[in-house]
Amino acid sequence: MHTTPSTIAEYLDQLRAALAGADPAMIQDALYDAEEHLRSELADNPQLSEADLLAKISSSYGAPEEVAEIYRNQEVTVTRALRPAPRRELSNNPIVRFFAVAGDPHAYAAMFYLLLSLATGIFYFTWVVTGVALSMAFALSLVGIPFLILFFGSVRMLSLLEGRIVEGMLGVRMPRRPPYPDRDLPLGKRIVAMFTDPRSWSSLFYMLMMLPLGVIYFVLLILSTVIPVALMVAPILQGFWHLPVAEIGDINFYAPAWTYPIEFVLGFLGLFLMLHVARGIGRMHGAIAKGLLVKIAA
Amino acid sequence: MSDTDAHLKKFEKELAAGTVSLVLLAVLAAAREPLYGYQIAKRLEQEAGGVLAGKQSALYPVLRNLSSAELLDTHVEPSVAGPPRRYYRITPLGRKVLREWIEAWNATRRSVDSIIKS
Repeated sequence: MHTTPSTIAEYLDQLRAALAGADPAMIQDALYDAEEHLRSELADNPQLSEADLLAKISSSYGAPEEVAEIYRNQEVTVTRALRPAPRRELSNNPIVRFFAVAGDPHAYAAMFYLLLSLATGIFYFTWVVTGVALSMAFALSLVGIPFLILFFGSVRMLSLLEGRIVEGMLGVRMPRRPPYPDRDLPLGKRIVAMFTDPRSWSSLFYMLMMLPLGVIYFVLLILSTVIPVALMVAPILQGFWHLPVAEIGDINFYAPAWTYPIEFVLGFLGLFLMLHVARGIGRMHGAIAKGLLVKIAA
Repeated sequence: MSDTDAHLKKFEKELAAGTVSLVLLAVLAAAREPLYGYQIAKRLEQEAGGVLAGKQSALYPVLRNLSSAELLDTHVEPSVAGPPRRYYRITPLGRKVLREWIEAWNATRRSVDSIIKS
């Protein structure tokens, strides 16, 4: 049990302590209300000392513990009544969740990342292979060491850039500043640190990996887009223009008419599946990027 | 003794939930000028009995709710006494809502009274 507060500041401290752990916004409101009320009471009764007034307060405004209790109860009621249910609770139904992917901006951003990854993958791979080859070739000459340093520096800047792309498109939190060692270290030590930092090497590995990954992502995305679209369009082409589903040599293959609706529905569902695939690969790649470009440093 | 106490507390809490809002709206509808929390509490203090005689700190969260529901207008004015005071004034929507609440209250009170008496 607390002692009766003798100053307003003490009262507010006790109230803050009694509300510990609650929503900070609610604590701020409660403290604001209490201070406003107590100071008004004080201004209204100039003949009373602060201590006398606070002794009376517990029967009118309430003791700090009581006030905390009232605000906690009120907060529960308010949250239940005013705030709309979080979106995640709305879609417990697996069917709703399957189609809800169409409303998720991350799915589309991941699609573009997967398309882009072919281009960035080729670029990173070329950059690293060229850099490593030239570093080896120059190793015995005078420019060998400076070139190696420049090359490593460029890889770190590229990995920062890639981090920005990953954060922007895949929504994985990535660093915003290059990972420079202690600014107080002399230049020579900082350069050595760049080579002993495992993150430099894992970044190199990531850049190499981006070529095969980029190719795989690109092909997966194109396939999972083209197949559903083809399934949806084929019945229309065959129905109206008598175009075959497949043509091998002189033989044309036609799908029976009763499969048209099935083809169309499968294609339609396939488009949503593609968005799921894109989002899933995006998440996985985000984890890889975080692992190789950021985490290892720790 | 203590278990009837708990029942009474719970009943009072549930009863207060709506009536406090009603009374606050009524006080502000009768006021000629915007009032701040402490003034409202003092006006209630003179009349208060039953569930309304509860702790005055309970009024403030209700005032906030009413103003976030746009039944009350609110603005902050600096004061010499301490922190800036938050003034409340009833909105036209608040007056309309209050009329409906009073009707509902009267109907409920009449029927509750007659049932209790019989």
